[in-house]
Order: sequence, then structure tokens, then C-alpha cells
Amino acid sequence: MNDKLTACLERVRKPARYTGGEYNSIIKDKSNIDVRFAFCFPDIYEIGMSHLGSKILYGLLNSMDGVWCERVYAPYTDMEEQMRQRKLGLYALESKDEVKDFDILGFTLQFELNYTGVLNMLDLAGIPFRSADRTSLSPIVMAGGPCVYNVEPMADFFDLIVIGEGEEVMPELVNLYRKAKKVGWSKQEFLKNAAAIGGVYVPSFYDVEYKDDGTVKSVTAANGAPKTVKKRVVADFDKSYYPDRFIVPSTEIVFDRAMVELFRGCRRGCRFCQAGYTYRPIRAKSAETLKKQAEALIENTGWDEVSLTSLSSSDYPELNDLCTSLVAEFEPRHINLALPSLRADTFDINLVENVQKVRKSGLTFAPEAGTQRLRDVINKNLREEDLLNACKVAFESGYNSVKLYFMIGLPTETDEDILGISKMVKDVIYTFRQYGKNKARGVRVSVGVSTFIPKAQTPFQWAAQTEREEVLRKQRLLMDSLKIKNVTYSLHNFDSGFIEAVLARGDRKLSAVLEKVWEKGSRLDGWDECYSLDRWMQAFEECGIDPAFYANRVPEKDEILPWDHIFSGVTKSYLWSEYQNGLSGRATPDCKAGCRGCGALSLTGGGKCDV
Amino acid sequence: MFKMRILFEKKDDAAYISHLDLMKVLQRSFCRAKLPVKYSEGFNPHICMSILSPLSTGYRSKYELCDLELVSDGMPEEAEDRLNRVLPDGIRVLKAYPSAEGLAVAKIAYSAFNIELEGGNAEDALRIFEGDVFFEKRSKRGSKQVNMKDYIKSLSFSGTENGMLCECVLAAGDDPLNPSYVVGILREKGIVDANSVVRYTRTAVLDCDAKLFS
Ligand code: SF4
Repeated sequence: MNDKLTACLERVRKPARYTGGEYNSIIKDKSNIDVRFAFCFPDIYEIGMSHLGSKILYGLLNSMDGVWCERVYAPYTDMEEQMRQRKLGLYALESKDEVKDFDILGFTLQFELNYTGVLNMLDLAGIPFRSADRTSLSPIVMAGGPCVYNVEPMADFFDLIVIGEGEEVMPELVNLYRKAKKVGWSKQEFLKNAAAIGGVYVPSFYDVEYKDDGTVKSVTAANGAPKTVKKRVVADFDKSYYPDRFIVPSTEIVFDRAMVELFRGCRRGCRFCQAGYTYRPIRAKSAETLKKQAEALIENTGWDEVSLTSLSSSDYPELNDLCTSLVAEFEPRHINLALPSLRADTFDINLVENVQKVRKSGLTFAPEAGTQRLRDVINKNLREEDLLNACKVAFESGYNSVKLYFMIGLPTETDEDILGISKMVKDVIYTFRQYGKNKARGVRVSVGVSTFIPKAQTPFQWAAQTEREEVLRKQRLLMDSLKIKNVTYSLHNFDSGFIEAVLARGDRKLSAVLEKVWEKGSRLDGWDECYSLDRWMQAFEECGIDPAFYANRVPEKDEILPWDHIFSGVTKSYLWSEYQNGLSGRATPDCKAGCRGCGALSLTGGGKCDV
Repeated sequence: MFKMRILFEKKDDAAYISHLDLMKVLQRSFCRAKLPVKYSEGFNPHICMSILSPLSTGYRSKYELCDLELVSDGMPEEAEDRLNRVLPDGIRVLKAYPSAEGLAVAKIAYSAFNIELEGGNAEDALRIFEGDVFFEKRSKRGSKQVNMKDYIKSLSFSGTENGMLCECVLAAGDDPLNPSYVVGILREKGIVDANSVVRYTRTAVLDCDAKLFS
């Protein structure tokens, strides 16, 4: 470890975030390496190390001979200050070599407020922001992750972007790069060849023209790039690559545990949920595979918890059997099973009790809206009876706390819907008074309220975000009606949700704003203590951009949306019909009742979804 | 039930693992090594273990001790090798033995440190500690004005390539002296620069007769 780094570490909080050396981190002999890959997560270590997709790709790339993939996270503000003061360039945790000398930098874009974090990391590495300003073959700066379904505000910064799942396309890309290096291709030649790989989007090959009103006039593909880039998915999810070991952090992170992935996609079709649409088609792993993967991870990490992850765990077809056998295996070894994302309508107390044998945690449900009418609009097919029934069963068996998540600012929402939230909360408390096993202990209900953010490639991509004053009024209305002693609530900060909304449906004109706001000091915008709306508003103004155009406008039906050349698998016409169903309050049954023809199966060439 | 004592070193990257995190790092290593660890009773069972005389974050150590309770009747076979195969970089077990062969924890009296300093003159440095050195010492019970002399068993300085090496034996146990106080004084008196690099390494833990505690 060099002196500059030692001096930095002595002066920052939680230095173990910046040292590497964790168990299962991979060190390779540089002399046998021809592609050095920096996996960059534009948020701090605790967040990045908790992210499953990164672990999969880290294992996968390092399983390739001649390839060394290392991790890079955003430094927190104190560390950044030290690094700048001591002129220590951004380095990768494994080798501590500077990132600027790597072949490929791969950023994962988990949410829009990380965008300035990408710019800041490039700056710390001493790499120019814009793809056009980087002319040589190395480094290639690429991206992937859930934000790619509208990545246009960041399009000018990346050389290429992977749309969809990385398990197959990443090795293809890295091998192509290896060839490019060997043969001596120019960056341009490499990108031309890369664009021919399914799921690879090279933004510079797409020319975007705008109309006078600011909407998109046309998007023209050049250099033989496809007109629309189709999402890549792994067809045989059960057999797709999964690491048998994860890096075990030596300091606390957010999700400090083993994880196995039950399935990808979601059969429910909540109309606000981007993941619910963009992860389709629905593909599940067999219980057999999951058991093996969980066992291997526990064996190789020493963790005392395994989490079964998915968008909606209770929808996993063999959930009961899987949990029963995992509990039988793990309970005697003091290993806990975590089962997040449960739904109230399929809530099974025996299952939960079984799972929580080792350690009891609270219950969490997400009704999202306060009235049946509005739940039909957003297609959250959960009835109040189901929620109350789930609470009743849980309270009867001794639980006395529950967390409820709601959203406000949803399309068609009225004050009645807001008051419906408090009614629902009161009904939950009443249920406890009737059925609680331990009434004397009292009940605790915590209510989390976030603001609706319209996202690309969902039915609500045509909906507007509610304006600030109105959201604040609704928040007050809710708070005034919820002054009950057993209830605590947390309101999501509207201001950062506004910027998230602007970027989520933004276009390439916003790249100038991103540069400007970074210059003004934006970095870790996802952290309240680092975020400043003023800074963003100044940047919009200086760039002559009206943020309301992106956040609060309702696009026309046949408007070209900035992300229309990215195809998630779900067709625009399906999304439109779902939007119309939403506006008229018509719920759509979930895919278990029959395939709705959303289009996602075209990605796997037919077959059927695992529902 | 059986108690095992583990002597290990902690260097390089691992020096920056905090005390609480080190507990977790070791617990997970015990699981990977499949040692027959004992769990506590109650709502949130945890592995019964303790780190003796824990250090501040960022300190290297050639002499770390940990007591671990096991459900076996005696030493697990090849405990050292099993652990060394599954420990993270920078942590290495030097010896594992029955705690009963060692001294009781209450016998810990001193820790020996090597402090590598950037810049400074050894003679000037030594002169500072020849007489009384009063300073504010902070602890969980608040802070108090004390004389450093009462906490130092021995202290010496020697010149190195780019500065000095301070070898010292400082109070440990109930009322320990953190070696950063020694550096604090050197910085305060202008012997070394406030912005300079310092490396702390614990070299031993000693009993009240200044004999190696094991
Ligand atoms: S609509 Fe059909 S293709 Fe689309 S997710 Fe549902 S079952 Fe799969």
C-alpha cells in the first residue's frame, strides 16, 4: 500500500471501505492478463457491495482466463477530499492500480441519482467525460443496469451500453475487445463490431434530431447499427452462470448476506414498476438449483443468512417446498433465511414462521395506494381484506409490528385516495386491537410514503409527475389525518424524486446539465446530506432547460419517446393499452391467469413464462 | 465445553478493519473453517468469542489474541491450518492453544508498539518524554488530566531512512494508553508534521512483570 493511500486512510471514516483484501476477492497475476476490467459502481461501497448483479458479473468475468475484473466504488466525501488533496487517482480495490490504465470501465446504473457519481468517478480517474473526447481503444467506458431502458441523458458519456442481462453478452464483448487489442483495431472499428452483438447499444451511432417544441423528431442509426436495440436475456436462466462464492466484506454493508435469485421478471404488472416490465419474460430457477447455490454460498462465505431475492417472492411456484428444505438444512447451523418482497394476498403465516425460526423480523407489505379504485388504476391487485387478513393472522401468532408502503402523486389520485391511506392504517390498528395476541405490548405501524416517479418502458411512461406544491399539500393532508400514537411515518423527500423524474424520462439534451451540476458540486445525489435541489435548478437555468418539460408533461400517444430505439421486449402498444386500462380504472389479471401477450417472449424466441 | 485461544497477526489491508468488524470477520472465518463453535442462548444467538485488548482501526498487529468457546471437549484438529486457509488477506493465525494454558485476561498489563514516523529527530523526540508530560486523556468515563509518564513503561526513538521509529511499552488493561497520544504530543511539539504518515504496529501484549502474555 503506498504512502498516499495510507495517509488518506488514516483520516477518513470507515477506512475498510477503501482497502480491498476481503475474503474471496480475486487477485490475479498481471503478467497473464490481457484485459483489465474495472467494474465501477457509482455509489459508496456499502451500497455497491450489496448489489447482486455486480457479484454475478465479477465472478463471471474473473472466471475467464486472461481477464481480471476488479471493483471500484465512489469514495464518500471525506475520502474524495483526501484523494484530491493528495493527488491520489481513482484506483481499483484489488490491485490498487489506477483505473485510468484499465482497458474497460464498466459502470452499473442502478438509479438516476447516481449519474453525477459516474462523472465524478471519471474525473477522479482523470478520464474525459464524453465518448467523443476519448479517441483511443483504451479505456472503453461502458454501462449496464436498470437505467439503460432510458439512458439518453448519459448517452454522450458512454462508448457502449449493454441493454439487458449481462451473463452472455459480457464475455462476448470482452472477447471482442481482446481481439481488437490483438489486431490493433481503432476504437471506431471496435465499436462497429460491438454494435453487431445483440443487446449492445453504441449511442454515438444514433443521431437524434429534435423538433422545435423539444420533442424527438427522429432517431437515425448509422454504421450498420440496428434501428432498435433489443434487450439481451439469458434463455436458460436455470443453467445460467451463478457464482459459488461472493466476496465477504470486512466491514458493514447494507445487505450483508448470501443471496440466491428465485426468478426474473414479475407476473403482476404493476403499472408504475419499471423492473416489473423490463425484467420480463418471467424465468424461474428450479428449487434444486437454488438449494445447491445457497449451500455453496454458505459453505464458501461463512455468512449466517441467505436471502431469497426476486421482485415478489411469494410468487415463486415452489416457495413452500424450497423454504422447508432450506430451513431444515440451515436452522441447525444457525443460518437464517430472509424472505423479502412478500405479498399480503398470498401471505402464509406458516411459511413466515418457519422461515423466521432462527431470528424474528418484522412484516412488510406494500399496498401502494389507499383505495381499491386507485389500486385498480395502478394494477396493484391487492384487496384491503387480504391485507387485513394477513395482518390478523400475523397478529394472532404474536407479531405486533408491520411496515406499510404507499405512494402518493399517482395518476388520477384524489384526496379521497390519500385519506384512504389513513383509513387503511387505522383498520390495521383496529385489527390488532381485535386479534393481537399480546395486546398489552401495543402495535407499531410504520408507514413509508414515497412519491410516484413515471419511468420509461412502463405504462405510466405517458403520465406526469405531480408538481411540488400539490405533492407537499397531499403529504400534509396525509400527516394531518394520521396523527395516531402507534404510527410512525417517513416521507420520501420530494425534491430528489423530482430530479429522478427529470432524468428518468430525459433526453440527450440533459448531458450538458449533468456536466454543469457536477461542476457545481453534485456527487452522491442519492444521499440527502449531499443533495441540493438549488444546484440542479441553477444548472437547468444556465443550460436553458426547463425540467418540468421532462417531469410534468404528458407525452402524446404517437410522440417518439427518447428511448423508443431501446426495446425492452414489452411492446409500446401493449404499454399504451395498459396505460389506457389504468386511466379507466381497469385492472389487468396477472400472468398466471393467462399470457397477456406483452411481447417479452419474442426475446427468447417463444416458449412460455414460468408462472 | 472448551475454550481455545488464538494468537494471530493483522497487517496490510486488514489493519483497517475496526474492532466490531473484526469480530464478524473472525466469526465467519470460524464458520468457513467448520470449527465446532458454541452459540449463545436467547433471541439472537451469536458465536461466543472475545478479542483481548482490542486495537484502534488502522493499527497493524503482530500480536492479537482471541478466545473462542467450542462445544468440543478439546482442541479441534489442525485448527491453525483450517483457519489460515479461510482467513482474509492480512490476517494469519500464528498459534492456537487451549486458553487454560495461557494467562487469565485480567493479567494483561502492557502493550508494546512500534510507531513508524515520517520526519523528526530521535534525540529531540526523546527529550520531550524525559520529564512530565501532562495531557487530557479521554475514555468512556470522560476525560481527565494525567501525566504520560505514569502510562509509559519504556520508550525509545531511533532514526530511520525517512524519519524515526518509536518503540514503546504502554499501559494496557483497564486504563490503557493509546499510542496515538504519543504521536499527538510529537505533533503538538512540532517534532513531526501534522500531515505526515504514521504506522502503528503492536508487537506484543505483556503481563505486569512485562513478560509476554500468552
Ligand atoms: S404477458 Fe405473457 S409474455 Fe408477458 S410476462 Fe406475462 S406471461 Fe410473460
